[in-house]
Order: sequence, then C-alpha cells, then structure tokens
Amino acid sequence: MKSLKRNFKSDSQSNTISSKTFVRSTKSGKLQKVVSEIYLRSDIPCSSKLCPLCPSIAPADANGNVPKPILSSRPAGTKAFPAGHYLVPDTNAFMNGMDLFEDPGAFYDVIVLQTVLEELKNRSLPLYNRTLALTRSEEKRFYVFFNEFRLETYIRRNEGESINDRNDRAVVRAAKWYSEHLPRRKCPAVVVLTDDQANLQKAKAGGVTAYSLRDYVSCLENVDRLLDMISEARQGQEDRPQPGELIYPEYYSNSKILTGLKAGVLHQGIFHVSPYNYLEGTVQVAAFDRPLIIIGRESSNRAISGDSVVIEVLPKEQWKAPSSKIIEEETLNQNDNPEVEETEAVITEKERRALQEEVKKAHGAPTEARSQPTARVVGVMKRNWRQYVGTVDPGSTGSFASQGRKQQTVFLVPMDKRIPKIRIRTRQADELVGKRVVATIDSWDRDTRYPVGHYVRSLGDLETKGAETEALLLEYDVQYRPFPKTVLDCLPVEGHGWRVPASSSDPGWIGRKDLRGLLVCSIDPPGCQDIDDALHARPLPNGNYEVGVHIADVSHFVKPNNAMDEEATARGTTVYLVDKRIDMLPMLLGTDLCSLKPHIERYAFSTMWEITPDADIVSASFTKSVILSRDAFSYEQAQMRIDDRNASDDLTQSMRTLLSLSQKLREKRMEAGALNLSSPEVRIETDSETSDALTDVKTKASLATNSLVEEFMLLANTTVAKKIQSSFPQTALLRRHAAPPASNFADLNDQLKRMKGFELDVSSSKALADSLDKCVDLANPFLNTLIRIMATRCMTSAEYFCSGSHAEPEYRHYGLASEIYTHFTSPIRRYADLLVHRQLAYAIGYSGQGSEYVDEGLRNKSKLEGVCKNLNFRHRNAQMAGRASIEFYVGQALKARGETTPDSGINVEGYVIRVFENGAVVFVPRFGVEGLVRLDDFELKGAGEGRRESEFEIENYRLKVWEKGREDKAASVELFQKLNVRVSSEEKSGAREKGKRRVRIVVLAS
Amino acid sequence: MPLDTASTYGQTLLRTDGRRWNELRRISASISTQPSTDGSSQFVMGNTVVVCNIVGPREGRGQRDTNNALIETEVTVAPFAQTDRRRRTKGDKRVQELQTTISSAFQAHLFTHLYPRSSITISLHVLSLDGALLASCLNAASLALVDAGVPMPSILAAVTSGVITSTDGITPSDPILDLNNSEELELPFLSVGTVSGLSEHQEDKVSVLIMESRIQIGQNGKKLEAMLAVGVDGCKQVRTIMGEVVRTHGTRILRGRK
Repeated sequence: MKSLKRNFKSDSQSNTISSKTFVRSTKSGKLQKVVSEIYLRSDIPCSSKLCPLCPSIAPADANGNVPKPILSSRPAGTKAFPAGHYLVPDTNAFMNGMDLFEDPGAFYDVIVLQTVLEELKNRSLPLYNRTLALTRSEEKRFYVFFNEFRLETYIRRNEGESINDRNDRAVVRAAKWYSEHLPRRKCPAVVVLTDDQANLQKAKAGGVTAYSLRDYVSCLENVDRLLDMISEARQGQEDRPQPGELIYPEYYSNSKILTGLKAGVLHQGIFHVSPYNYLEGTVQVAAFDRPLIIIGRESSNRAISGDSVVIEVLPKEQWKAPSSKIIEEETLNQNDNPEVEETEAVITEKERRALQEEVKKAHGAPTEARSQPTARVVGVMKRNWRQYVGTVDPGSTGSFASQGRKQQTVFLVPMDKRIPKIRIRTRQADELVGKRVVATIDSWDRDTRYPVGHYVRSLGDLETKGAETEALLLEYDVQYRPFPKTVLDCLPVEGHGWRVPASSSDPGWIGRKDLRGLLVCSIDPPGCQDIDDALHARPLPNGNYEVGVHIADVSHFVKPNNAMDEEATARGTTVYLVDKRIDMLPMLLGTDLCSLKPHIERYAFSTMWEITPDADIVSASFTKSVILSRDAFSYEQAQMRIDDRNASDDLTQSMRTLLSLSQKLREKRMEAGALNLSSPEVRIETDSETSDALTDVKTKASLATNSLVEEFMLLANTTVAKKIQSSFPQTALLRRHAAPPASNFADLNDQLKRMKGFELDVSSSKALADSLDKCVDLANPFLNTLIRIMATRCMTSAEYFCSGSHAEPEYRHYGLASEIYTHFTSPIRRYADLLVHRQLAYAIGYSGQGSEYVDEGLRNKSKLEGVCKNLNFRHRNAQMAGRASIEFYVGQALKARGETTPDSGINVEGYVIRVFENGAVVFVPRFGVEGLVRLDDFELKGAGEGRRESEFEIENYRLKVWEKGREDKAASVELFQKLNVRVSSEEKSGAREKGKRRVRIVVLAS
Repeated sequence: MPLDTASTYGQTLLRTDGRRWNELRRISASISTQPSTDGSSQFVMGNTVVVCNIVGPREGRGQRDTNNALIETEVTVAPFAQTDRRRRTKGDKRVQELQTTISSAFQAHLFTHLYPRSSITISLHVLSLDGALLASCLNAASLALVDAGVPMPSILAAVTSGVITSTDGITPSDPILDLNNSEELELPFLSVGTVSGLSEHQEDKVSVLIMESRIQIGQNGKKLEAMLAVGVDGCKQVRTIMGEVVRTHGTRILRGRK
C-alpha cells in the first residue's frame, strides 16, 4: 500500500499547495494537531487602481461580478510622503490604535493583511469585528489582502521560529511585494505601521518603510486629537503576562476556614459590590462597625455580589481609601475575547492601571484617616448564584452569518452591573444578539477570568414591554407564573357568587360580631381594587369617640398549610409594577371576596378603640366581624367630601372626626420622635384607553386624607403588635427598625458640615428628626427633601422578626418611634399580615369557623424565623422591582417624547448627590431618577470633541471639568449643587446600557 | 481561531484555504492498491483519505434475493482520522446511516441482476477525514467496483457543495464546491452524487442527495438551486478525474499484457 504521507515532489501542483499545521491544547490539557491545506495562487489582486496587471486576473464571484479595485490611485500623503502612501498596519497597530483607524479624518487606503486579521481575531474579537466593519465601508478604502494565499507573499514558518516572528516576517514580505508589484512611476509609498520596536527594526532591515503609530500620527494634522486616541496600554505588549501565573488564589481549606473563624482571624459576611465601581466591594462583618473594603479582582477572588464569603484582613500598608472614581467593566474590558482562555490574565492591563491610579491617590491623600481597612476573600461559604438576565455582547460573537452548527463562546452582560460578564457557549449566537437572555452561572474556576455559565432561555427582543417586564421580575426573583390548579382548588366553590351567609345561625357567624350597622367607608388610591381596610368613627355618650379599623378577613379564606397558603408564603407579597400587579393571592380573593368593596357585606377583622377627643386611647378591643362598607373613596374624593361645607351627613361627619383625631395622633407621634423621611416617588400616569401610551410622569401628591388612613393603620398595627406579643411572647411576628449606627451617617454628616454647615444629630430618632428639620436653605427649598432622601439611605431597613429572636428593647421601630410594631392592615397583599391575623385570632380566643385549623407553625420559632427571612427578602425585592419598573417607564416616556419631538430632552433641575473623580451622580426630582453624569456629559461652552480632563477636590466635594487645553473654560460642580440638566433617553452602544435605555443626563452650561 | 468564510468572503472572494468558490480540492486516486482483494482503490480529496476494498461478487450465504446481487457496506472511520481522537463504535448511528446510503446508491446503480443470489461487500476505511465523508466514500467505492469488474452504466461520482449565507446583505450568497471540515461546520452544505446520462446529449442523473443542514428555500437568492447546480457540475469534474485514473490504470495493465 502506498504511504499516506504525501510526496510533494512528484506532484505537478506541488508548488501551489502547502499546509498549515499547528498544535493547540484543549481545556482538558490534551494536545491537538490541526492540519489544514492552503492553496497558493497568483490571482489575488493587489486592488490598487494604479496597477495595470491585476484587473485582468481579478476573480469573479458566482454571479460573474468582478470586484472593483479599492485602493485609490491618488492616496493621501503626509509631509514625508508627497506621492501618497498605502498603509500596512500590523496587529499591534490595530490593537492599540483602533480608534485612530476609525477616525474619519485620517487613515485612508489601508491594506489589511490576512496575517494581521487572523492574529487580531485571536487576540480580540471585538477589535476584529470593528476592523471588518471598516473593510466593508466604502469611503475608508480598507482592502483585505489575503497574503497567505498569494504565492509570492506566502512564507513558511522556519524551524524553531515563533509564530509571532513568522507573522512579522509575513507582514514585511507582503509590504515588500506591494512596493515591488506596483508600477515604479509616481508610485505611492507602502508604509508598515507597527507599535512594536522589534517589528519596526525587522521591517527596516527588510527594506520596507516602517513607522511606529505615534511617529506616524505626529506627521498628520490634528496631531493632538489623534495622539489622544492611541490606547493607553500601548506598552502592554512587552509585559504581557505569561500563562500559568494568571490564576486566582486558591481558597483556604475548610478546616483552615473553620479554625480561622473560631479564632477570630477570619470573618464571614455577605459580599456586596459597589454599584459605581465593579472592582470594589464591601463586606459587613460582625466584628467591626464599618464594612471592610475589598479592592480588585484578585482580592475579591471570584466572589459574586451576594455570596456569603470568608475574608481575611490585609496588612495595614494595603489599607486604602474607598474609591472616588467610577469604574465600569463595560468601558474597561470591552475588547475581551470570549474564546481564548489559555493566554488570558486574571487582571487585565487596563484594570491594573486603573487600580494603580487609585493606590497613588490613596497614598497621596493628606489625611491618613481616609484610608480604611481592606480585606481579601479567602473562601466562599455559600454561593448565592441565581439566574441572571442580560444581553449577549454583540462584540463577542464571531462570524456574522453562522447558520451552521458551530458552537461559540460569547459574553452575557448581566443587567445588574455588579455581576461580572458570564461566559456562555451557544450555537445560536446571532439569534441571541439583541435579545433579553436568561443564563445561570455554572462555575468559576481559578484559571478563568470570568465565570462560566449556560444559556437558559430567551425572553424576547430588547426594549419590548413583555421582555423587559419579565426580565425585571426574574431579576428580582418575583414569582409571576399563574397560580397552579392546586391553589385555585382552595378557593371557595361559590366563586364570585360567595356571600356572607344570610342567617345568623350559620356557622360562619359564630364568634363574629354584626357591625353592619356602622358607617364604615374605605379610602384608597384611585382605581384600587384590593381594598384591605375600612374605617369608621362615631361619638360615644361619654364624649369620647369609638373608632374602628376593619381589615379584610383573609385568614377566613386562606387556611393554614394548604396549597394556597404555601404559595402565598413563597410569594410573600404582592408586587406592584407600573402596568402590572403580581398578586400574592388569586384574583378572586384579592379583588372580590376579601376586598372590602362598598355596598356589600364582607367578613372583616376589626380593631376598635375608645379615644378621647384629645386622641388618647382609653381602651382597645379586637373582634372578627361582618361589615357593610357605605362607600369607597379615593383620597381626592374623601378630601373633597370633608372640605365640602354643605355635606353634613353622618358619614362625612365621621370622616371629619377621623381626620381631626388623626392629626392629633400624628402630632403625638412626631413628638415622640418619628422621622419624616422622604423617598423619591413618582407616579406614572397611563392612558387608560391604550395602556401603552404613557401620558406623563408625576410626583406623588400628598393629601391630608393620605395621612388620615396612615395614622389609623399605624395605630392598629401598634395595638395589634402589643396584643399578639402578650399572647405569643416567643413567637409573635413583629416588625422592627433598628437604630442606624452613627457611623452610617458619618459620610453624610461630613458632607453636610463642609458644604452647608449643617449638622445631623443621630443620637436618637427625635434628635435626628429635629436636626433634619433645621437643614433648611431658603435659597434652595428642595435641599431639605434631598437631605431626607439621603438620610433615608443611611438607615438600616425595617425587617420582620420573630419576637423570641430579639430582646425586648430591640423591638423598637426607629423610624416610627414606636416601641413595638407589626403589620396587620394589608393581609391581601402581604403575607406577614395574614400570619398576624392568625395570631390575633388565636390571642382573642376566636372559636368560630376555621378555628379548628390550628397552625402549629405559629408557635414554632425556627419555622417562623424562616418565614420572616423569606418575607424580608421578598419585601425588599418587591420594592426594588417596583422602582426598576418605574425607572423603565420613565425611560419609555422620555423615549416616546423623543420620538414625537426629534430634538428630545427635557431641561429640568437636578441635584448633585455624589461626586466622583470622573463624574457625578445627579438626582432629578421631577422624574424621581438619578443618573451618572460622566465627563463627556458635561456641556462646556464652545467645547469640541477633545478629551475631557478633570480635577477632583476631595475635601470640598468639587469636580472641575474642562476640555484638554482649555482650562479657562472649565465647569465645576459640587455636592448638593442645583444644576440645570437635560434629561433624555438615549440608545447607547454598550451592551448594558442598550437594554435598559438608560436615562441620560447632561449637565448644561450655566 | 482561524478566520471564517462568512465574514471575509465578501471582501476577498477567497475561502479559508485559498480556493475560489468553484474549485475542487486536489484529488488523487489509484486503483488495485490491494491485490489480495477482488477490487480496491484509494481516494484522496484534500486531506480526506479513503481506502476501499471489494469482496465479490460471490455466493451470498443466506441471500434470499434470487434475481439480484445484494450490496453490503461496512464503513470504519479510523480513530485518528480527525483532529480529536475519537473511537466510533459499530453501532454508531451516523456510520450506520452512511452504510445504508452507500449500499442503496450502488444497489440501484450497478447491474446487480447479472449476479443473482450473490453478494458484493464494500468495505471502506476512512484514514483521514477533512470533510466530504460521504462523497469520498462513494467515489472510492465507485473506483474499487470498477477494479472489481462489476458492470455499471457509468462511474458514480460525488461531491459536496455548500452556500455562503449572508445576513448583512452585502456579502454575496455564493455557492461553493467541495467543503473542508471547517467549512462544513460553519456553512450549510449537501452531498450529491450523479451518474452520467446514457448518451452524450443526456444530462447527468442525480443518484444520491443528502442534506443535513437547514437552509431557506425559495428565497430570491435561490440558494438551494445554486448549491445543486454547483454540486452537479462538480460531480462532472470529479468523474473526469476518476475516468482518467481508470484509463491510466487500464493502459498500464494492457501494456503489461503485451
């Protein structure tokens, strides 16, 4: 049999065929030898309009079209090349100067060699894609020359020659061929551009004109502007880290962690990443008051925001001030290549550089007090990975048209900025671009920079309402599937036809008081369907008043431990989005059977007080009841009715009584030190006809009737809390709001003191409330609200807890200045209230229908603690989902406005709430949004496209911005400053921004 | 990561190995490579190497068909044939399908009625694989059957053809001939085998056609039609080469007789 090895000499084609062989190692460490054929040819045109030969040999495609020559006959030149030149950049030139090549002012007639293109693809897919886009555009005249396939320019790799050297040689050879191939007369020069010293010398030795990028650019016009565009990391070439040393440090062993924790050397806590700087995270541990800072990828060691980690404090020399700079992963690492794994460093050069600058800052800081303890992660106790919603980074996908089955690796950029990019493998990359995609993280090994995950499903196109809403719900872990049949089976069989039994001998009436005669009414936001609460008040013969708060008796319908109860436990709360409500209980209960609708008898759980006209509580009682609500008011309607002098019916009178009592109650509460905090709240008004078109964004109005309802609900909650605590000393479900540690306010206090001369006294809630009242700037009336908003953020969040798990003094609700508190008044939309109902029913010895179902869980402390934990989690997520939904709709409203009036953007007032070294965070009260303002978003008088420079005075929280070289035209902003900003919704090119349609805020020139 | 066809073809009109759209890889073939068998051949198409041995026609044991010879095919793909070493078991479904396709192609093509109650076994060994598995197997078997002297109306020649699909609208949707392995992974392709018409004026007849990738049909580009046209045309080229191989071999044998 013949030998398989091909005998090149005997073949007539032997000089036109060659083969490319290389060895690669797979992830598992196996070596693979890849052999591919190369057919060398002499009919690859040079594509210059000057060439007399090539048009005759130019090939045609299947339809017989011959491509026209690309390179112009009179190319542009510089001082050094009066006859013009063709540029032959090498790979480094593209790596470091991509922005230059894309610049419309220079760099025409460029020959992109196949060697370069191939190398570029290996190094950075995004840059490769950008280069390809250039070759497709007609005006830039970039020509792809397949030098590896042309007989004359193909070179064989020598024995022992590195692939880089061989490629450099190929570039020189191709450039040489070009200069020899083109006709001698008035020939444009062929110039090799490189950013590598060695290559420069090689080219010169090979007799080819060669320039370094920097030298070449300096002979162009617009030198300054172009020079700025050369990548900072241009020296990155020399110290490219070697593979092998580039892995994350290993985690400590389990036993080492356990002993360390016991000895107090190691600490455990939850890892949180800063939303402004993805390289910086904090961990709050029990041992210290203030959180420890974790800086850099190596220190955070594969921990993802939300993980429970074990940390070790770093030596004092490495302590640093928290970052004052905005660092976004997007902008820093946009050229990462998802496929290549072997030669990749854990920390990219740019990241390292960004951190270095930080260190210098910290060391240069005059006051050492600013540097704070830092730590590094040495182990992960529990991963808190979930499913992440994001978008596929289009720059990381490979070919444009891969209908084949080829698998490729792409980056999924999660919506949540604190989560790193996830590397996923997919066969449908081009279908996924532009979609909202759900993925999970599978693992994060020591040797990969980014975690590895897999595709779960696609939610739909970006920016469509359905996909964005679903993305939001998934992101905040809201369970939004329709209720399963087992749950629906628990509903009353009568359905909407259910009525309070007519005869009072019915078992449903046992233990229930007949309160149908009372003048009960409900006051809720307009359009409210799930009416939880109703009120009444009537004068008593002794001059006091009887006031009743009637809460929907949900516990009558939701029996403990059935499918519906379990579903409600899991959901925890109803989630309100702008256009959607995700119910905790099925519609039938929430909006009909439980809802205290007017003119229909309903079961209720009533709390009644005897109150003196001075709003002192004489006595309180609780009972299950049947009520008949006389009317359902909206806040406005109720206010109008109360204000209407002609109305003097009993219902109106009772509402007036309620209002006056509530005002007195409120006064007392404020006296006790309740905080009047503020959170930015806006309401989105939707056109009810077409729920699509948003009419406007409005800030929430507050009426006296709002606080009427609020006061009595607070009263009911407090009264009930006392009652259940006395019956269930160990297992009452209560709500507490811990007093915030003074250190939380340290930053804000410092800022206020320096900027405005105010001081916050945080010794007690009363003191804080008083000092907040004093923070008034007559020139800037909004400042007070702003400070309240910022103060709110310094507080801890209120939480549900089980009375046995805290000592009695810790039951306190700081914000409401109440000794004890719980949630009782909204059982339709909060599960906690439902549990409290059950506890209260037990506490008052209710023995009617349903009391035969005993919920053992009510007395099981550990079970209740689990429930509390889940409720707190759900509650927080529901709030965040609601806020995110508003944010999305504000964006959509702006977008809609932008579409009707092309020159979009609305000029409004904004307030600076945070200042960074390279940007500021501005809060816009009109829309209740806050946004990052980067240096480029500062409008400067008469400024061009030049690079922005800035100076940050950390002491005075002041940022000065100017265009390079025009320092006289600088703009400066400082903390709390009122600004005129333009808010618009802009589509950004970045993968993260793109989906969320970030509201862009531009600071206008004053 | 080497370049891919779809992103650069539009600019250069070159494929990733330097070929134009309508060029075959280098083909070389020889017959009577294994004297101990009834017929044998070696077929090389680029980096794909297939060796074929024929046993028969001989008496078929347990063969029930009293009118025709039965064609049986065995295909073994060597574990070292591709980049990653992979052992394929006998029961490999893809290999089984390959065997059935080859058997039925030759069952219809050969004059099997001349050998009733007998069987012809085609055994194919893929030593190196760089795309066009079915096409190379068919070609190798064709040549080996000629060597074995089994009568047939013409030589069955096969080739693969694919199409470069563009989504951006700029890259032309060119059909391409004879894909190598990396192209097969990237692009939709089909394998087509034809036999020549009975007289010179008759068109070739497609006898084998298999496509496993998805492609849009009936678009303005008429991609499938273009692929088929290029494939049928490629088969003609391959048949010419194969005919040449047979003729050279024949001449040598005749010369040896003298």
